Amino acid sequence: MINRILKIDLTKKKAEVYSDEKLYEDFLGGTGVATKLLYDHHIENIDPLSPESPIILSIGPLNGIYPIATKTIAMFKSPLTGNLGESHAGGRLFMSMYDANLSAIIITGKLDMPSYIAIENEELRFVPANSIWGQSASATERILRSAEKGIGKRSIIRIGPAGENLSLMANVAVDTGRHFGRLGLGAVMGSKNLKAIVISGNYRHKMENFAEFNKIYNEIFWTAVKSPAMKKYHNLGTPQNVLPLNKINSLPTRNFSQGFFEGAEFLSGENLAKNYLAQQIACANCPVGCIHLGTLREAFEDSTHFKTFKIPYDYEPIYAMGTNLSINDPNALFKLLNTVEKVGWDVMETGVTLSWATEAFEKGLIGTNQTDGLILNFGDAETYQKVLAYMKENKNEFFNDLNKGSAYCAEKYGGKEFAINFGKNGSPGYITGRDAFLGFLMGVRHSHLDSAGYSIDEKIISGDLNADPAEEIDMLINEEEWRFILNSLTICLFARKIYTEDLVLRALKSVGINKTSEDLKNTAQKIHALKYKIKIDNGFDLNSLNFPEKLFNVQTGRGKMNKAIVQEMIKTYTNRIKSLVETLAQ
Amino acid sequence: MRKVMRVVNRAQCIGCYSCMYACSRTYFHIATTKLAALRVKNYAGVEGAFSIRICIGCTHPDCAAACPTEALTIREGGGVIFHEEKCIHCYKCVEACTLNAMQWDPIAREPLACHQCGICAEYCPNDVLALVEVEDDREAHND
Ligand code: SF4
Ligand code: SF4
Ligand code: SF4
Repeated sequence: MINRILKIDLTKKKAEVYSDEKLYEDFLGGTGVATKLLYDHHIENIDPLSPESPIILSIGPLNGIYPIATKTIAMFKSPLTGNLGESHAGGRLFMSMYDANLSAIIITGKLDMPSYIAIENEELRFVPANSIWGQSASATERILRSAEKGIGKRSIIRIGPAGENLSLMANVAVDTGRHFGRLGLGAVMGSKNLKAIVISGNYRHKMENFAEFNKIYNEIFWTAVKSPAMKKYHNLGTPQNVLPLNKINSLPTRNFSQGFFEGAEFLSGENLAKNYLAQQIACANCPVGCIHLGTLREAFEDSTHFKTFKIPYDYEPIYAMGTNLSINDPNALFKLLNTVEKVGWDVMETGVTLSWATEAFEKGLIGTNQTDGLILNFGDAETYQKVLAYMKENKNEFFNDLNKGSAYCAEKYGGKEFAINFGKNGSPGYITGRDAFLGFLMGVRHSHLDSAGYSIDEKIISGDLNADPAEEIDMLINEEEWRFILNSLTICLFARKIYTEDLVLRALKSVGINKTSEDLKNTAQKIHALKYKIKIDNGFDLNSLNFPEKLFNVQTGRGKMNKAIVQEMIKTYTNRIKSLVETLAQ
Repeated sequence: MRKVMRVVNRAQCIGCYSCMYACSRTYFHIATTKLAALRVKNYAGVEGAFSIRICIGCTHPDCAAACPTEALTIREGGGVIFHEEKCIHCYKCVEACTLNAMQWDPIAREPLACHQCGICAEYCPNDVLALVEVEDDREAHND
């Protein structure tokens, strides 16, 4: 197992590699290790966009070895929420880090001019990049792919203009169609003058116990290829959720006004696959290949010539820039997604902010004075394109404010009750019921992937599950804590049905890590407590948590929520978190 | 009849590298893409376009002809057999293969000659590669 941490100081342009056995013993890798590293940086006294602010990239003991262990964890102080920043991305990054024999990379400091870093094993080059500052995230990849030969398969992570302009919702694009999307890592990179990182390596890790490794590899590989466990991701990809969610009244529409979108048919995984899908691609070492690329054909201006783009699409972008903005034309949607991709924003926060702005405009909280004459209407894709263009150039104070996300805007202009964010992070795309929202609110990243509460709601809706509030809270916490283990290893969560606890223990053993089920449970709890400690130390207020008011009036998949019960649940959940964090002191 | 490797559905490749992992795993017991006798390449800037370079088992292999020491000899059924002890690390075999199919281990400074075993094809989830029966070198190519 790799236990080598590359520490880079951008100000001094120096780097060193060190090992920390105990850290990996205690926290496995991935999110566990990154959490501890972030904690040790004491970010409570640090401005997220200052040179001291750290960026941590972390992989785990199964990455590079077993199929579908494909993620890299990024941790940082979120400029969007001011507390724990964490985002996960697939692609090839984990493989390049593994090939470079690095389990984590910590970046602090600030470069004296726009530059990128090339990492080949532990060798480092700081390359001035004035010429690519300002280039789109997509162009930057093309340019660096030909500029940097690498010493193995290269992974290229980079920011677009949004990150350079310190938009608090800027993302970091990873290889093709993958991102560190959420919580503003792009701005942190931008604040360091760091345009991109290109990484490759040529280490070879001999398998100590080859027979066992081979056996487990095949078990995972063939389950992924043959069993129904991964079929849905392979076939239609995540957009296969559009129609089922719509059917149970859970597909966010026009800023979470309702769960039924009349145009769902057009944006469904089925329709996109049939009429727009160009091809699928995969993260390295994943035979599933859930990344769907759609085609956008556009005429040149004033000409009969055409150009064709390939646009990665997934469920969340479809919700964020599609159903929730009432856009039902796939071409219009792809055009919006293309812009967001190039400029380098988090598509979910962008969508939530635009939907807040549209409702705020409707209600008169903002007007044409702010929007520079634009009239915001749900369904008006052309105007949304202009909004994005104005945001990119920070045309005026209002468009500059949109770059700070929905929570900031609602605080300044009003409309908090319909700014659909949780812990200041724009909502994921589910109106299934209270467990989805409770998961977004209480999950450490405010992500649908924290505890997947929507899946509990779905089971309750379909009648497969009967649960009372206390049991629902238990399920959310248990799921989130198990996912801390998967994210420490770092498995793609789409393979969570394959990576059962039994398999995880055997896979760890095959690489020389002996753990028991009890050990994993303890580790998960420790990670959970530490993450919350970071949140609280950085101002996350456990005593003022609530859902955006609007959601209490909407028909969710499970019907209208009972506010009193929900608030009781939030209280109970909060108390559980408080006592969890107290265990740290002991 | 003989069986050799072909890229039968290039455009179906999803770039998962399962093939390269399988080859390196089988012959070197190492979890890497880099010791494979084939290569899946990304094209710069063309989202999702992959090019697959694999030895097609020529009956008159240019690589063997270019080898000054007979470290590569003609394999019955097509392709070549590598004799490590004769290799002088000159790289001529790699340069001689216009397909760019002969891979190179930069650490050992030796070619990675394909065994025409079909294991990579077995692990390809999308039927991109196949071990196919041919009589002639020019048969069964991807269009
Ligand atoms: S299932 Fe999709 S996201 Fe997960 S590893 Fe495979 S290609 Fe990547
Ligand atoms: S046919 Fe066998 S030796 Fe040749 S590339 Fe495929 S797995 Fe490797
Ligand atoms: S296994 Fe098949 S789909 Fe995957 S990279 Fe190789 S040829 Fe392409």
